[in-house]
Order: sequence, then C-alpha cells, then structure tokens
Amino acid sequence: MTFDLEKILASKRAYRQTLAAKPIAEKLRMLDALRERALAIRQDAPSFNVARETPSKYRTP
Amino acid sequence: MNIKEVIVTINQMQADGVIDRYAIGGAVGATFYLEPVATLDLDIFVALHTAPGSRIVSPKPIFDYLTSRGCKTEGEYIVIAGWPVQFLPPTGPLVEEALAQAVEKDVEGTPTRVFSPEHLAAIALQTGRAKDKARVLQFVEAGVLDAKQFQAILTRHGQVARWQQFEKQFLSDKP
Repeated sequence: MTFDLEKILASKRAYRQTLAAKPIAEKLRMLDALRERALAIRQDAPSFNVARETPSKYRTP
Repeated sequence: MNIKEVIVTINQMQADGVIDRYAIGGAVGATFYLEPVATLDLDIFVALHTAPGSRIVSPKPIFDYLTSRGCKTEGEYIVIAGWPVQFLPPTGPLVEEALAQAVEKDVEGTPTRVFSPEHLAAIALQTGRAKDKARVLQFVEAGVLDAKQFQAILTRHGQVARWQQFEKQFLSDKP
C-alpha cells in the first residue's frame, strides 16, 4: 500500500495491461458480467433527472 | 447473457445469406484490443441487402430472421442472448472502409470479424463524444495503434485537423 501517486498510476496502468492481455473469450465474459452489474445498479438507483450524453451512432459530420 | 452466443447467431445469419460481411465495432470491438470496456449494447456493422425490386436498404430481413427465432425487439435494438444488438449500415466512407478491412478473430473456436484498432480509434475520433474521446485515449495509452496506418486513415478521411485538436487538448504537456 502506498500513497505515492506515481506508483498508484503505474500500478493502475499495469493492471489495465494485464486485463487487456487476457484471452478475448475471457474478456467477453467480463463484458457479460459488467453489463449484468451495470443493469443491476441502474435498476436499484433512484430515478433522478440527470444529464446524459446524447447517443450518436457513427454519423459522419 | 452471452456475447459469444450473439456471435454464433450472427455467423449463422451470415451463413444463411441474410447478411453479407459484418464486423463488430463500438465498445465490444474495442475490448478485442483493450481492457474490457463496460457497455450495455453491441454494435454490429453490416452491409445490408437491398429489398428485391427496390433500391432501399432495409434491416427488415435481419429482424424477421431473428424474431422468427425467438429474439425480441427493443426499439432499434434486437435482443440476442440477453444482449441488445444494433445492426448499423456503414454511414460514411470511414466506416465503409473499416467494414471492408475488418480483422478476422477467433473466440474459442468461433470466428468473427472486428474493426481494426486504427479504424476503431478513427471512428471514435470522428464521432467525438466525451466517451469516444476517452476511447481514443485508451487506444493511444495502450500502444496498440500502428501510427503509420492510423495517420493514413486520418488523412484519407479528412480527420487530421480533428486529430491535431485532440492531440493539443489531451496529449500535449502544455496547457
């Protein structure tokens, strides 16, 4: 455990690299789990009026 | 909820002649090159068939095919194996090129096609929302972009000025 920001950031980068290097099938299973979690959080969250980004589907300008 | 099952279904749809070439884009496409990027839907880019006797491109055959196999529609999405999937035709030359040059991938024995990292980053740059810019940064930081290829794509599709602005905003040490 450290409070050295440089070390913390380096550790985060290393963790992201470890995740990125995992086999694709494993990463896709993670996406399945992440989506289930996101949906559960949305379901339990109170419905505030929040600012949301308007989706834009790959339109050319 | 299973993305691999979605890929199997889309491959079958292609084998049955409902769609031509397809490629995965968006956050799921990015996950083939980066750490998993949380997303709620799956973007599949397809070259859609024109209806017989018509010049209008229609997603109807896709929806008919999938709903006859028990998939439900939700707005512009169709839910396959628990995932809302959006079928998107190429909306411009950049996405057309991305689809034509999509990369073959293998997911535990199941073949699929995904946009190249350079095309995913260029499309995100062009789309330009906050989360798209964050994705471009992820690609840059992960070091997965072939600089020469990326630059060529930006040049071909008139995105150089946008890239320079992005570089100035996010990749420059000077404020």
